[in-house]
Amino acid sequence: MFENPFANRSYLVIDDFGDMRTMIKGLLRALGGTVIDAARDGAEAIDLMEKTRYDVILCDYNLGSGKDGQQVLEEARHRKLIDLATVFVMVTAENTREMVMGAVDYEPDNYLAKPFTKDLLRTRLERLFQRKHDLLPISRAVAKQDYANALQLIEERIAANPKNLSDLTKLHADICIEAGLLDQAATIYEQVLNRRDVAWARLGMGKVYFARKAYAEAEQVFANLVRDVNTLTAAYDWLARTQRALGDLQGAQATLEQAVTLSPKVIKRQQVLGDLALTNDDLAMAEQAFGDAVRLGRHSVYSHPSMHAGLATAKSAAGKHDEALEVIGRIGKTFENSDEALFFMLSAEAGIRQNQGDTDAAETSFAAAAQLYQEMGQAAPRQLGLEFARTASRLGKAEKSAEILKAVIRNNHDDDDFIAEATEVYRSTGTSENAEDAVKDIRQEIASMNNHGVRRIREGDLDAAISIFGQAADAMPGNTTINLNAARAMILKMERHGLDKAMSLQVRDYIAQIKRLAPDDHRLHWVTEHFQKLVLGS
Amino acid sequence: MTEKSELAFADVLAASVHDIKNSIAMTMSTLDALLDDPGTQVADRDKLHHVQLEARRANHNLVQLLALYKLNKGQLAANIVENSVEEFIEELKAENGPLASAMGIELDCHCDDMLMAYFDENLVRGVINSTVGNAKRYTRQRILLSAVEEDGYVVFRVEDDGAGYPPAMLESSTAEDIASDFKNGRTQLGLVFAAEIAQIHRAGDRHGFIHLRNGHTLPGGCFELWLP
Repeated sequence: MFENPFANRSYLVIDDFGDMRTMIKGLLRALGGTVIDAARDGAEAIDLMEKTRYDVILCDYNLGSGKDGQQVLEEARHRKLIDLATVFVMVTAENTREMVMGAVDYEPDNYLAKPFTKDLLRTRLERLFQRKHDLLPISRAVAKQDYANALQLIEERIAANPKNLSDLTKLHADICIEAGLLDQAATIYEQVLNRRDVAWARLGMGKVYFARKAYAEAEQVFANLVRDVNTLTAAYDWLARTQRALGDLQGAQATLEQAVTLSPKVIKRQQVLGDLALTNDDLAMAEQAFGDAVRLGRHSVYSHPSMHAGLATAKSAAGKHDEALEVIGRIGKTFENSDEALFFMLSAEAGIRQNQGDTDAAETSFAAAAQLYQEMGQAAPRQLGLEFARTASRLGKAEKSAEILKAVIRNNHDDDDFIAEATEVYRSTGTSENAEDAVKDIRQEIASMNNHGVRRIREGDLDAAISIFGQAADAMPGNTTINLNAARAMILKMERHGLDKAMSLQVRDYIAQIKRLAPDDHRLHWVTEHFQKLVLGS
Repeated sequence: MTEKSELAFADVLAASVHDIKNSIAMTMSTLDALLDDPGTQVADRDKLHHVQLEARRANHNLVQLLALYKLNKGQLAANIVENSVEEFIEELKAENGPLASAMGIELDCHCDDMLMAYFDENLVRGVINSTVGNAKRYTRQRILLSAVEEDGYVVFRVEDDGAGYPPAMLESSTAEDIASDFKNGRTQLGLVFAAEIAQIHRAGDRHGFIHLRNGHTLPGGCFELWLP
């Protein structure tokens, strides 16, 4: 007798209505399930997930006043309470406008609309089990950044001409993009688009243009996509990102305003919108976006002190200083006493006191924030550098602000959309320099240093390359590209001349630094893989 | 009645419909459980299947009524995304097949390979399920559910081998046409719903529509849903 796929799995049903929980549990039991737990809200669900690793989670999107279904999913994934093998199905009630369209980071494996029959639940879950089973080795390889293996596995699957070819093709292209194989990804998208006008392939093509820094082409693709398929929120996010890279911060803001009207519940999008509005000096929009972010963040793992700081800054700039102080007062209560939270509190407070005309208090807070920023050093996230530069500029410290910005730009010289925002902040500092020129000079200086080193690697002069990148990494420890190339030069040297203790310690440091700065960077895989081989081979 | 109290009454109606719909859903799931349980002893299982069919029909009607009400109030947003039509048809077969075969009806499905389409899966499911449910009442022994690509549209067809649609109905394909039939005493809620749902599926300047005909590949009625 064949094995019932429902019998050997564990289930968690999350719904705020008792009748509904009973009904879904009944359906699962009828399908053969035996281990079935239920939770009435997000908090209870998370508690259960901390104790048990479930195979299948059926979670209602609407869960009353606490977390919603999307926030349960985000917290569970973020805290690794569920893994790649877990099947997570979001159960949705009616087609309401606040539908969880286009979540930014985590999407459930499937959406299922209520009411559903047992037969629908059976076919849906069976297909998801099959899909998980087929794709698990591939997604595991991707998670380890082992792209060569992932690509080999998926190409084998595709060659077998399976039923879900469209799904696999999309995944194939996604992996190529993640692995930085842009030409390969573009070929796949072109082949798909030659046959049919498919939104995901158009979106992918836009991403390829973006990665190639062909921003004008990318903008065209995303703008058309937004026009033709106006519910695809990912296209709005990419369009806004492209507009930022092109320096069109007003356009980027307008695009995100449309996106939040369509899908108002994504915190990260609200925060990006708030930041843009603040940079564009649109205080009403900044207050609205940060206000939404803070409100949505109440039950979310994405809550961050920078949202409170943004809200306070927007309120204070609009003259609502008391409300602003109240907002930053809540940072201390909401977040455990981290340096980051404290920094955002002090930085925002400095701005508010300045606006109130209390320059002494502003200076005191600023000095304390500066102290913290100094201590965090390279560990400080780049967004924090921007905030600090903004505050310095608000206190009339144009030179200090420029100095902070220069350091941040040096560490992120090849990241166009971030640089565009930094340039705008630079412009608003009121320094005597021309912001565009100053930023361009920094970027050119670092790019040419980097290219110089890369050329030495190519010519085989590894000692020269090691020296160039070593000095550069000392000067810009927060620069991902420089750290990667420094590690690469040393690894190549050791591959030729054998393992060297001092050098491998240094490589370890570089890798640790890159993992802190950009854990998802596809170039990291080459470095870790080659380094591992070296160490094991000795 | 003043205009204001009329509006409030519409909300009372909608809330009640919602409540009745949920009761029927619970009834249906209890009935399903009874039918699944080999220990259930009924003299005539066919009668239970008939209850099941009618309960589903009532449920579909109420779901559609609510959807139309929301559409009217601007509260219904279609979630139009790309779906695999093949998988969608498979699910529809799984949902409708068991009851059909219990009634002695053969439900066949056909779909173009790898067909993908943009539609709100939930709304279109409602349209097809209720059409198949109706076909079960009018067919002799066969129902054919198919999906193909024609003229740049994806066409869903539900055909049966019954007597076919009456000539007057073949003329009506828009919601207005069908609504005017309402006045003539026919309650074609399912068709009004189908026409409205077709209409909100748009791509560029094209939009979806429904079409009724007789004797396509089976001798009886043929319902068509065209989506751009």
